Amino acid sequence: MSEIAQARGGSGSGFACSLKAKAWSPYVAGILIGLLQVPAFLLIETALGASSSYVTVGGIAASWIDPAVTNIDYVAKHIAATGKNWWQVALVIGVAIGAFLSMRISGARRQPISPIWSRALGTSSPGVRYAVAFGAGFVMLFGARVADGCTSGHGLSGMAQLAVSSTVAVAAMFAGGIATALLLLRRI
Amino acid sequence: MSLVQSIVIGLLMGTVFGVALEKSRVFEPGMIVGQMQFRNFIMLKVFLTAVATGALVIAALHGFGLVKLAPKATFYAADVVGGLMLGAGIALAGACPGTVLAQVGVGYRDALFTLLGGIAGATAFGYAEPVLKPVLAASGPGKITFMDLTGLSYPVMAVGLAAVLVLILVGLEMWRPWRADLGADVDGDFGPAAPAKTTRSHLEPAE
Repeated sequence: MSEIAQARGGSGSGFACSLKAKAWSPYVAGILIGLLQVPAFLLIETALGASSSYVTVGGIAASWIDPAVTNIDYVAKHIAATGKNWWQVALVIGVAIGAFLSMRISGARRQPISPIWSRALGTSSPGVRYAVAFGAGFVMLFGARVADGCTSGHGLSGMAQLAVSSTVAVAAMFAGGIATALLLLRRI
Repeated sequence: MSLVQSIVIGLLMGTVFGVALEKSRVFEPGMIVGQMQFRNFIMLKVFLTAVATGALVIAALHGFGLVKLAPKATFYAADVVGGLMLGAGIALAGACPGTVLAQVGVGYRDALFTLLGGIAGATAFGYAEPVLKPVLAASGPGKITFMDLTGLSYPVMAVGLAAVLVLILVGLEMWRPWRADLGADVDGDFGPAAPAKTTRSHLEPAE
C-alpha cells in the first residue's frame, strides 16, 4: 500500500517533493521549471529554450565532413563559441543528467521502449519504433527551426512574454500534435 | 560571463530542469501521446503552470528594470508551418526537443533515435535556411507582443495571463485530479499490458 502511495506521488498529504518520490505534482514541477527563467534571464540574458542546441551540435558535426557549411550564416551563428550557444547545449545535457539522477534516486525503472508504443503503432517491433522515432525527431526539429522555437523557446518563454509569434506557433503545435496523434497513431 | 561559466550554469540549470521533467512524468511518451489524444492532462498542467510562473517572474525582473524582454519575431507562415511540423513530430516522438534528453537519461532506447533524427533535422534546416528564409520569413510585423496590440503594460498583461492560467488549472484539476493520470508505473500507460492497478473504471479489460 505504501508502495502505491509512493508511486502515486508521495504521502497522503500529497505534496511530498522528496527526490525519492516517483512523481511530483505537475504544479510543483511546473513552478520549478518556470523559476528557471530567473537564472536564464539574469545570468545568460536569454530565455529557456532547447531547439537551437540541435543546430549547434549538428552544425559542428556537419562541419567536420563539410567545412563549407560554416559559410551559411545561420549555421555559423549557431556554432560560434558564444556563451548562449554553449549554455543551451549544456542545458539539454543537464536535462539528461537530471532525469537520470531523479530516476535512480526514486528507483523507477524503465523498459527500453515505453509500453504505449506497441499499442500506438500497432506493432511491438523495436525497428519500426526506432524508424518512427528518427523520422519524428527529424520533423520535430526541422519544424522547430522553421518556427524559430520549440515547446521551450516558444511555449514556455515566448508565451510568458506574451509574444504573438509564440502564441501562433504553440497553437499550431498543439493542432499538429492532436491531428497526428488522432489520425496516425492508434489510441493508447 | 565566460564560456566555461555559461556551460557550468547550463549544466546546473539543466539538471534541475531534468529532475522536474522526470518527477512530473511529463517526459513519458504516454503523457505526451495521451495529452494529444485527450486522455491525459499532465502535460498541459506542467506546461501552463510553467508559463504562468515564468510570466510572473519575468514581469517582476522586468519591473525592477533587471531584464529586457526578448520576444521572437512574428512570421505567420513560418510560425504556423513550423508549429504544425513540430507538433506532428512531438506526437510521433512522444517527446519535445527538450524532453527527448530526459528520455535518453532514463534509458529509453528509442529516444536515442529521436535525438539523432533531431540533430539531422536541425542540420538539414541549416542547409536549407538560405533557400527557405525568403519564403517563410519574407515579411512580418516584427517582434510584436500582445502589449503592442492592446496598449497594456507587460506587468498588467503578465499578471492577467497568470490569473487566467491559474483559473484554467484549477478547473482542470477539479475535473481531473493529476494522480488519476499517472498510471500504475507512473508512465501514463493504462493499457492491458500494464500491471493491472489502474483506477479508471471506463477502461475495458484486455481483449
